[in-house]
Amino acid sequence: MTEKTIKSPYPGIFYRRSSPDADPYVAEGDRVSPGDTVGLVEIMKNFYEVKSEEEGVVDALLVQNEDLVEAGQDVVVLRD
Amino acid sequence: MPRSVEILVGGIQTTVQDYPGRRGMLAKGFFPAGPMDHFAFRAANLLAGNPESAAALEVTLGGVALRLGAEATVGVAGAEAEVTVDGERIPIWESRRAAAGSELRIAVSQGPGFRIYVGVSGGIDVPLLFGSRATYTMGALGGFEGRALEAGDRLALGEEAGDGAPKRFKVSARPQYGREWEIEAMRGPHAAPDFLTEEDMQTLFGRAWSVDRNSNRTGVRLESHLFQWARKGGGIAGGHPSNILDNSYPVGAVNVNGDLPVILGPDGPTAGGFICAATVVHAGFWKIGQLRPVGDRVRFREVTVEEAITLDRELDERLTEASLENA
Repeated sequence: MTEKTIKSPYPGIFYRRSSPDADPYVAEGDRVSPGDTVGLVEIMKNFYEVKSEEEGVVDALLVQNEDLVEAGQDVVVLRD
Repeated sequence: MPRSVEILVGGIQTTVQDYPGRRGMLAKGFFPAGPMDHFAFRAANLLAGNPESAAALEVTLGGVALRLGAEATVGVAGAEAEVTVDGERIPIWESRRAAAGSELRIAVSQGPGFRIYVGVSGGIDVPLLFGSRATYTMGALGGFEGRALEAGDRLALGEEAGDGAPKRFKVSARPQYGREWEIEAMRGPHAAPDFLTEEDMQTLFGRAWSVDRNSNRTGVRLESHLFQWARKGGGIAGGHPSNILDNSYPVGAVNVNGDLPVILGPDGPTAGGFICAATVVHAGFWKIGQLRPVGDRVRFREVTVEEAITLDRELDERLTEASLENA
């Protein structure tokens, strides 16, 4: 099994959903494809999508909703 | 063909700025704009062989790529970040000669610091607006079309004047970056005993303040704090004791909006109805451009006007050719 991670491109506050009422973008066990959004990062009054660059299944979510993340920090672990 | 630089990736906010920006326009509703960190900005220009005032790029965080349309000397200063020209590394606080057609890439900075300045020999030749080339983001004017740069934008460059030789800004002349910052400020114009208590002022200058994620060129938000206040309310200006009748704001004011202190940045509002408990002095103002809005903390150090002037002279003395060596 190869393990891949999705990283936050920017520092900021991480959100798992597009709005407080929406379902999370992804949950453990979901299959993602390149370009799929897995979260949002809020910085400087803007929101940026965190996207997967790989194909895989969500194995673990490494940060909680509204956690502070740094640029390049792993936020999701994928497995094949 | 005229000299130019093309934006390949604009990043979260890359703007054209000049120093000291659009001064003398407060009465017309213009904060000065200009670089949020004037120290690194001026250093980047000196490294590129430009006057410190020349128009150059302010890159927020990184994640930016440019292509040079002409041979030029490129100087970079500010937050630690991996910068390359056609794959070859340029250390921050250095400059290199780059060939026409070469690509300059700035990776996302892991800090410390938050902004990287790119000086290009000849300067960025955007039109002057009221005497300045600086981008005023709040007014959407100046710079290149009054906005942050995007892929496909092509900026004209001025004519080179220097010898183009690669330089290094001496380590001894560089500022210190960290995640805990001490920023020099003076009290007022709205401090104790009229608006805040003396204990409030001691808290303002005594505690460390976390930098909020929603900080930008308009202002650096700190954390909410329940001050004691010297008054019960704002009188005819409003119900909250932070309210005052509208008055002009100084650049670098620590503006207390309700319970929330905000340091007003170069693109801030020129006037409003909240108190300004303290004001960051010019020699400390550059630091607000390097505050990383994810966990950095600020303490204000109170200085007198005499100290503020001395500090600014010392800073000016570090921003001269004497601080450069051959790289």
